[in-house]
Parts: sequence; C-alpha cells; structure tokens
Amino acid sequence: MSRLRIFGSRLLGFFWKCSDAENLDTELRAHLDALTEENIRRGMDSEEAQYAPRREFGGVEQTKETYREQRGLPFVDTLLQDLRFALRLLAKKPGFALVAILTLAVGIGATSAVFSVVDRILFRSLPYPQDDRLVSFGVMAPFDSREFVLGPDFVDWRVRQEPFESITAVEPGSVDCDVAEQNPARLNCGQADAAFLPTFRIHPILGRNFTREEDRPNAPRVALLSYGLWRSRFAGDPQIVGKNISLDGKPALIIGVLPADFEMPTLARADLLVPLALDESTGRGPDARQRIIRTFARLKPAITLTKAAAMLQPLYQESLNYVPVQFRKEVSLRLRSLRDRQVGDSSTASWILLGAVISVLLVACTNVANLLLARATGRQRELAVRAALGASRKRLIRQTLTESLLLGILGGLAGCWIAYLLLGFFVSIAPDGIPRLQQAALDLRVLGFTLGISLVAGILFGLAPAARQPEPDLLAGKESRATARNFLRQALITAQIAVSLVLLAGAGLLLRSLWKLQTVPLGMDTQSIVAAQIDLAEYRYPQAPQQLEFFRQLESRLARLPGVSALGLSDSLPPSGGMQATFLSSIEIPGKPPFAEGTGGMIGYRYVTPDYFSVLGIRLVSGRAFRTEDLAANTNPVILSEALAKRLLADADPVGKSIFFRNRNTWRTVIGVAADVKNSGLTVAADPEFYLPWKPDPDGYFRQGHLLLRTPQNPQALERWVRSEVAAVDPTVPVKIETMSQRVGKLADRPRFNAILLSIFAAMGVLLAAIGMYGVVGFLVAQQTREIGVRMALGATPQGILRLVLSSVARWTISGAVLGLFGAWLCARLLESLLFQVRAHDPMLLALALVILLAVAFLAAWLPARRAMRVDPMVALRYE
Amino acid sequence: MNPPRGEVLQGTLDLIVLKTLDALGPLHGYGIAQRIQQVSEDLLKLNQGTLYPALLRLEQRGWISSKWGVSDNKRKAKYYSLTRSGRKQLAAEAESWERMAGIIARLLGAEGA
Repeated sequence: MSRLRIFGSRLLGFFWKCSDAENLDTELRAHLDALTEENIRRGMDSEEAQYAPRREFGGVEQTKETYREQRGLPFVDTLLQDLRFALRLLAKKPGFALVAILTLAVGIGATSAVFSVVDRILFRSLPYPQDDRLVSFGVMAPFDSREFVLGPDFVDWRVRQEPFESITAVEPGSVDCDVAEQNPARLNCGQADAAFLPTFRIHPILGRNFTREEDRPNAPRVALLSYGLWRSRFAGDPQIVGKNISLDGKPALIIGVLPADFEMPTLARADLLVPLALDESTGRGPDARQRIIRTFARLKPAITLTKAAAMLQPLYQESLNYVPVQFRKEVSLRLRSLRDRQVGDSSTASWILLGAVISVLLVACTNVANLLLARATGRQRELAVRAALGASRKRLIRQTLTESLLLGILGGLAGCWIAYLLLGFFVSIAPDGIPRLQQAALDLRVLGFTLGISLVAGILFGLAPAARQPEPDLLAGKESRATARNFLRQALITAQIAVSLVLLAGAGLLLRSLWKLQTVPLGMDTQSIVAAQIDLAEYRYPQAPQQLEFFRQLESRLARLPGVSALGLSDSLPPSGGMQATFLSSIEIPGKPPFAEGTGGMIGYRYVTPDYFSVLGIRLVSGRAFRTEDLAANTNPVILSEALAKRLLADADPVGKSIFFRNRNTWRTVIGVAADVKNSGLTVAADPEFYLPWKPDPDGYFRQGHLLLRTPQNPQALERWVRSEVAAVDPTVPVKIETMSQRVGKLADRPRFNAILLSIFAAMGVLLAAIGMYGVVGFLVAQQTREIGVRMALGATPQGILRLVLSSVARWTISGAVLGLFGAWLCARLLESLLFQVRAHDPMLLALALVILLAVAFLAAWLPARRAMRVDPMVALRYE
Repeated sequence: MNPPRGEVLQGTLDLIVLKTLDALGPLHGYGIAQRIQQVSEDLLKLNQGTLYPALLRLEQRGWISSKWGVSDNKRKAKYYSLTRSGRKQLAAEAESWERMAGIIARLLGAEGA
C-alpha cells in the first residue's frame, strides 16, 4: 500500500519535474539566505558569512541531485535520456539507420512470414486432441497413390485388430451433394463411419454423433453440419438440431453441428458430415463391389508405429488370400502418422524454404552486427571522453544497449509490416494443395522469436565496444588498433558471401527446373482452347442415357455459338491424371500369351467425341480418328496411344487388329494410333492410354464431361456464352470454365511457388550481402584514410591504392565463395526431389551463380573503394 | 512499512524530524535544522543538505505534508507539518526506538557488571 503510494508520488514527481526543480531552488535559497543572515547577526564578516553556510549545508548541487533521484523515476529518466540520444544519433546518420532498420525488417519479415506458413505444415498440432497418436493405415496398390482398405477387410479388421483403441473409415476425397430448399447449392459431403468422431475425439458443439444404426445402407438419412455451413446457411440457428433439410433431393435429419476447427483427416472439404453407410454384408469374391475406403486409427498407449505395423501383419497377410494372384506382389501394408499422410510431399519444400529464410535471417543479423561494429569503432573516442568525464562502465553499457534495442525495436516493427505483406503475397500466389495455407496467419510467437534473435544479435555486437574499458590513448587522437575486430568483420562478410551463394545456387536450380517444366512438350496444342468442366449430380442424372442426353443437347447448342471453330467432348482431360483406368493384364491380344505375372500396371482410358483429336491437335500416328459412324451402337472401335501400342504389340502396326478386353468381355477393333499426350502430370513420361468413342457403353459413366471449344477469339469472351447455354439446358448444373493454358499452368503451380519464393530469398540474401560489403569496405576506407594518405604522399598511385583495397576484399570474397560452393554442393542434394530434368549438381548453374555473386560483391566493394583513390594526401595527413 | 533495520542513521533522522514537527508544529526546513542543532546542543553534526531528501521521503510516505507560506522574516518558505499517519508513525517509531535503546542499555549494563 505504502509502496504504491511512494510510486504514485514518484510518478507525479516525474511529470511535474520542472516546477518542482524551481520550488526546490527557492526552498534551498531561502535556507541558505537564512543561514547567512544568522551568521551576519552573529557578527561574521560578510565574505565569511557567504561561505560558512555552504560548509554547514553541504553540497547544494549534491542535495539537488539526491532530491531529484528520489523525487522522480530515475530509471525512466535515464532511459528517456538515452533514447533521445540514440534517436539523435540515428537522425544524424539516416543512411546507417535506414540500412540497419531495413536489413532487420527484411530478415524478420521474411522469416516470420515463411515460418507462419510452414509452421502449420510441419509443427503446429492438428485440430484433434492427442493428434500424435492418430495414424493412417491401409494397403498400397498401383492404382492409388495413398493407402486404402477394402470394405470387407475393414469390417473384419475392426473386430480383430489389437494395436488401436479404435479404428474408423472415411470416404476417399469429397463427395458432391446438393442442398435444396430455398436456394439450391452444390456442397461437399464428408462421409465417415460412426466411430469417426469418437476416434478423433471430436465433440459436436450441438447435438450428437450418428449411431451405428444410422450408419447403415438405407437407414434414415442424417447429417452433421460444419460450423461454417451452420453459420452461413442457417444463420447459426440454435434450434437447428432435429430439423430436416433436402440433401440430394431426399430429406435428411440434422443431428448436430461440428466445432469450428473441424476438418476431415483427408483434408477434403466437408460442408456436411454424413454416415459412410458401409454395407457390411458385402462379400470378398471377385464380383463383389468392394468399396475402397481410407482408414484411420488411434494407437493404444505405449504402442509405437513399428509395433502396430507388426501387429497388423497377420491380418494383412490373411486378407491377401482374397486378392487376385497377379496383385499380390504389387501391394504392401502401410502405416504412418496422420501428420505424415497430410503433409506428404509438402514437407521437403517446407524444410527447404525454412532453411532458406533462416539463411536470410542470418545474413541480416550479420549485416546489423557488422554495421554496429563499424559504428562502435568509430565511436570509441566518444566513449573514452564519456568515461573520462566520469561515466561509469555500467552507464556506458546501458547507453549502448539502449541504442541497440532501439534499432531492434524499430526493425522489428517494420519487420511485422513486411511479414504481413509477404504472407498475403504467399497466400495469393500459392497453388492448391498446400495443407492449411488458408489458415496461415502471423503468429505472435513467430514474430517474438525472430525479433528476439535480431535483438540478441544487436545487443551482442552493440555491446562489444562498451564492454571493454576505453583506452585513454584514444583521447590523444590515436587510432586504436582494431585488428581483431576487423578480422571479425571480414569473417562475417565471408559468411554472408557463402550463405548467399548457397541461396543463389538453389534458386538457380529451381528456376531452371521450372523453365524446363513449362516448356515440356505436351503432345497437344493448348493455345486458344476453352475447357468447360461439368459435373452432373447423381440424383438428377442417375443413369448413363440421361447423362448422355444432357451432353448431347449442350454439345449441339455450343456448336452453334459464334466464334467456336471446333468442339470436342471427353470425360477427362490431359495433362493431369484422374482418368478411368483398367489393368494392362486385362487387355489381351489374340496370338500373344496373356500376362503371366502381375497386373502390368494401370492403363487409363477416355471416352471422346470424334473431334476431340482435331481440337486438341493430337496427331494420329497411323489409322484414323473416330468418325460419326463409330458412334453407332453395333461398332466397337478403339484408338491406342503410341505408348500402349508399343507395350502391347511392340513394333507391329496395330491398326485393324482386334483386342479382347477381358474384364468387360468385349472385342474391340483398333482403328488408329494417337501420338502420346502427357497424361499424368508434367514431370513424368506419358502413361499408355486408349480412347473409346463417346456413346452408350455398359460400363460407361458420363457424370463428368469436359467440353473443349477452339476459338480464334479472346477466350474470356466465350465464357459468358457457354454459361448461358449450360443454364439453358439445366440451370442447376454448375460449370467450371478455364482455358487449357490455365489448366496446364496450374500443374506447374507448386514448382513455381517454390522457385519464386527461393528466388526472392536468394535476391534478399545477395542484396543484404552487397549492403554489408559496401558498408564494411566504406568503413575500412574511412578508417585507413591516414594510411592511404601516407602511402600516396610516398608515391603510391591511385590505381595501386584501389588494388590494395580490392585485394583484401578479394580475399574474403574468395574464401566466402569457396565455402559457398561447398555448401551449395551439399544443399543441392536436398533439392533433388524438387527438380525436373535438371541435375542437382549442374556445374553451369553453379558457375552462373558464382559469377553473379562475385560481380555484385565486386561492385559493392568498388563503389566505396573508389573513394580511397580520391584521397588527398594533405587532407588525409591532417585528418586527425 | 517500517524502514529496514540497519539504516540506523537514516531512521534516526526521520524520527528526529517527526519529533521536531510534533513538538513545534508546522516548520520550514531551516527551522527544523536550527531546532535540531539547538536540541542536540551542536553535538549532532547535521549536514543540513541531507534534510531535504529526508523531508521528501517522509512526504512521499504520507507522514508529513507541505504547504508554501511566508516565514517570520517575510520570505517565501515551505512549511512542513505532521499528518495523522505521521503521528501514528512517530508513536510507533518512538516506541521501537525506546525498546531498542532499552535493550542496548541492558546489554551494555550487563557487560559492565
């Protein structure tokens, strides 16, 4: 209480300092005057009477000093004084201040922004309690890139497995579902079994999970709403549980609302969660329609991943008995943590970006350290004067510390701003499929961490000069022999050059790889083609005839549009994957033995209209494309891709041959061979595929269609026309319109994102290193002005002086470059998995990076070194 | 809050100032100094300058209050007077001082005997 009172009174004293000082003066003067009068009254002579009181009183100034210290807040006073001084110093050298603050800001900003992105991917816990115990497991097979389990196996394993507390099944990917009532919308429904929410320990914020009974085929339909959908579509209605909505044209009961941070473990979008409704009676025979599902589980305590995998082995081996023989060698059991499954291939790129940005931060810290060191050396005399005038060592350290902290804080604030801008930029250029990028936000922890690093760097190097007792010699105008510190500075420059070279080499590799990727031949012409993708809702178009009829109507309408020179239709589009597929072993050629072993891998196929090949400019190597007569019901033509033809028939011409498709029990006649088209991404060679005519087919499935319109006009102009034609056929059908070039460009999004980011960091690194070089050389030249003057007076030529300065620069630069080459060689290995058609150790790229870096370093050194040439010996000798 | 023991001299000055104000009523700094010299019969060599920080300290603790006034010889002077909590403090401090003095006296007496 009393302590508080004292503080309050001190605080008042702090603010009313001025009037208070006057008051004290008056009071003390009155006291002294009274003493003097008293002395005179006692008969002292007037001169003595003036001095005696001072003796009696003690030091007036000391009293005032003690009084002041007690009166206000001396700590704050000193702080303000130091801050004012530091600000004055910064304002006096705005160049120094700007460079130091910018450097810090760039380092802090870039690191914070990148860390905010990768933090979500690599470090932040998933939105499930005890997420480290969650795993994904299943079978890896050639036709899927992720582990899966077949429905009957799941039903069996669920009962017999031992390593898990519980296991749950989720539908792969997201399923379209339509919500009707007032305004129809196409949403994404997640499907999961009744054990899903308990396994992930997710608790609905309203209502309940669905029961085992509701999670059966043909059970009354129920759904849980996502938080977002509940807020947006149902205005957060607290009475929503128990109401019915129309889902895919049928009523469904809302039984609960999911929490706001809910997400599917597959990361698929889910506006609603509906029961998986797995048919548990499905048999294991080859004819049963076994459902493919993703399985997740929560490990029992004290069971590791390896142990769990070992415990699952017997179950897995048993399930292999039901797998067709040719499969067995191509499948394996996979068990991995949920995080590993979600992060997938983002992890390498994330680590690389994180490494790159930490390198930038290192270069930035080195720069600030260098700047502060240089300035400190220049201020040694000032510190010596202060010490001589009675400043304690503690006081000097405190002052330098305040200055460094001020720089750190200003840099940190600017850094926050840069981080904010950069993060927005990253999110805007980021491709789809980087997990959780949309949620990435600037994080106080991250900002605090990076700010901390730069402050520590600033403090360490800012303190260096004050920590040593200033040498009295400095007062006499003698230069201190700061050789040790010069060495430190040069070592810092060497490190900067090395780190920048590594960054530059890495960026070079990614850029080169990106360029290769963008110019890779696709096997088709994507210029001036507009692609309209249409997905028909299953409940509105349940059968192939209705689906085909829809597309027939739409095709004839679009063909009449002005500006459409050619029109093709297919159920899938290159160059991304995702087409229907069958096993190579199911295709048989008369006279050739069927595949003895294995499945032979997956062969994709598409249904296409006759004009598909001409619209996309796909060349026919032999034979012909489909014609209208091939659309008749009694013909069974097929067109092979060149790769498939080679695979099936080696060099023989397949045109005219008949091929048996075992799993459909049909004979088809080969009428042509089409040139290969990139069909599973840009980075790998074209997979073999075949084409079937777009017409009714027992196995045909025409819910998805891609209409290709070749137009000589601006493709954007066509978009509106296409939309209105689609709406004219069925206004509830959504359509996605892109140009083919856009579709292809998207495939390079991920590499482009990585390359752009790494290039930005490399540019930052090189720029910062150049600034550092400029600063240090400039400082050295200024420090050696007298020496240079003496040399010139003794007959050195300006060119000789330039050589002298640059030769020492060359020493640090070359040692940095050697270190950097070594580092780049090592780091290139890490990049290998991100590269396309570029060798990780490409000597040309490395040489290019080296040349760029050396040129920049030389320029940065040459600009201040020129000043050394212009030193006037007379001025230099009188310099001190 | 009692001032920590050990700062005997400082504590003593506080006690002296409080007692002086209690005995003579409102007084300015010079008056307090004179009174201390007088009472101690110049045995206590007071550095008069130290009086002012002490006065400030007492005021910050709320034991005395100050007011500007005019002195006997028509000068502007700051008058200090004891507050209620100051009076309490004086009583407490006097008591503790006497107790301490008693203890010391007994101790020294025992030594002598």
